[in-house]
Amino acid sequence: MKSRERVRRTLEFENPDRPPFELWVLPWTHLHYPEELEEIQKSFPSDFAGPPLEYRQKPATQGNPHRIGSYVDEWGCEFTNIQDGVIGEVKTPLILDWEQDVEKVHFPREWLTFDRGLVNEFCRSTDLYVRAGCCPRPFEQLQFLRGTENLYMDLADPPKEFQQFLNKMHSFYCELLEEWAKTEVDSVMIMDDWGAQKSLLISPRSWRQLFKPLYKDYIDIAHSRGKTVFMHSDGHILGIIPDLIELGLDALNSQVFCMGLDRLAAFKGQITFWGEIDRQRLLPEGSLQEIRQAVSDFHQALYDSGGVIAQCEFGLAAKPQNVREVFKAWRDNFSL
Amino acid sequence: MADMQQLYDAVLNGDANLARSVTEKAIEDGFPPKDLLDSYMIPAMDEVGRLFEEDEYFVPELLISARAMKSALEILRPLLAEGGVEPVGKVAIGTVKGDLHDIGKNLVAAMLEGGGFEVIDLGVDVGPEKFIAAVKEKGVQVVAMSALLTTTMPSMKTTLQEIQAAGIRDQVKVMVGGAPVTERYASEIGADAYSDNASAAVTIARSFVNG
Repeated sequence: MKSRERVRRTLEFENPDRPPFELWVLPWTHLHYPEELEEIQKSFPSDFAGPPLEYRQKPATQGNPHRIGSYVDEWGCEFTNIQDGVIGEVKTPLILDWEQDVEKVHFPREWLTFDRGLVNEFCRSTDLYVRAGCCPRPFEQLQFLRGTENLYMDLADPPKEFQQFLNKMHSFYCELLEEWAKTEVDSVMIMDDWGAQKSLLISPRSWRQLFKPLYKDYIDIAHSRGKTVFMHSDGHILGIIPDLIELGLDALNSQVFCMGLDRLAAFKGQITFWGEIDRQRLLPEGSLQEIRQAVSDFHQALYDSGGVIAQCEFGLAAKPQNVREVFKAWRDNFSL
Repeated sequence: MADMQQLYDAVLNGDANLARSVTEKAIEDGFPPKDLLDSYMIPAMDEVGRLFEEDEYFVPELLISARAMKSALEILRPLLAEGGVEPVGKVAIGTVKGDLHDIGKNLVAAMLEGGGFEVIDLGVDVGPEKFIAAVKEKGVQVVAMSALLTTTMPSMKTTLQEIQAAGIRDQVKVMVGGAPVTERYASEIGADAYSDNASAAVTIARSFVNG
């Protein structure tokens, strides 16, 4: 079975030959385990791809986001980094005052100038499932622009300037998604980390009031053009999964082991679980047997004629042999 | 006469302006600063912690309550010092060496302050020497370390070893937390406690200083 068909069947719960594979890799991994990474990628090739990106107008970034030093992102946020291979932190946010500082923000309209022909050519040339080269993340980008604590306090009682800015950001993201939805990609991706270790970061009521309508628009734009929507959200987000299902989200990448497989089993068959395997404890510390057990438990709890993507992250401190075992276990589980 | 229930409510509801104005009025009316703190402000923050642990409050509510507490404390602190009133205890808190993340650390610091502790916030990327200096020079009873990255967790172990080597391990309790940190890891490195949230950290710190 070819990758595109495998992913389509997975998302539609139509008995793919096995769950699609996808390995996420942090720059840190390239620095620390280049050979092991290459071997895993060769042994368990991904069923997904991203298109090549060329912009008529180059996004205005400065520096390297994953190197020690300073990096300025496409919006003008400056990150400070003291560790190679990971992203840094914004220490001086651009928007200290909603009334005075909003004009300092650069909306990266350069992203709209991507070469659509090149993207379409790539989509036609591959059997892999292609996800768009953009990723709306309103909550996280707001944190970078406003500062995390300032933003949280804004959310407790949102000032009108905040709402105006959020509307402007949302319009921009919608415009970006409209452009990508016109291409021949299979899917688009959105992300925002909504969970802490044991609960949501903000109240479900605030989330439904302020952010759920944004995601609805993103999903509707994609679906109206026949694209699926994948979302990444870290942390304990159990409280909003029913909302994401209601919005029609196709696949969710979340920390399933943080929330508990037994609790997530209630949503089996309603949304595709796009990984993962516990990267807080199991991938860095677990034994091979524990990894195999985790994959087996995941399979039992969440697979329903599809609806599962064999994804994990080869990130900080993960043991290469454990990452490899994740994919081996998934493959073994579906071997004849 | 100031309505003290308003002070409790102002902290609970995160109304910094009201917390400040009620505190000012209460001082004018002759309320003892320590009573304001012990009878209204700390109980309000305890309730915030309870609501946080029961998923009725979330990070935004916790932060605005801490802000309200802080605005009232700014008025009370010099008066408490004048009156020789000691804090519940002293905590030195920081994100460990190599790690710049601070939201978790700041939440814990805010809740500890709200719980009546004097908090010495050492910031981020804090080496062992700064924690040790805080114990030796400021007399802190509790060291609280945070890490968000798996790769910076070993700095917690290093700091504990350095505290041991400095001969001050028996003068201080050490608690750790952060996304990749677990109870097991805390135990393995010899920390005295692990906390997975800001509210529980206050309960643990109180147990340390109350013996």
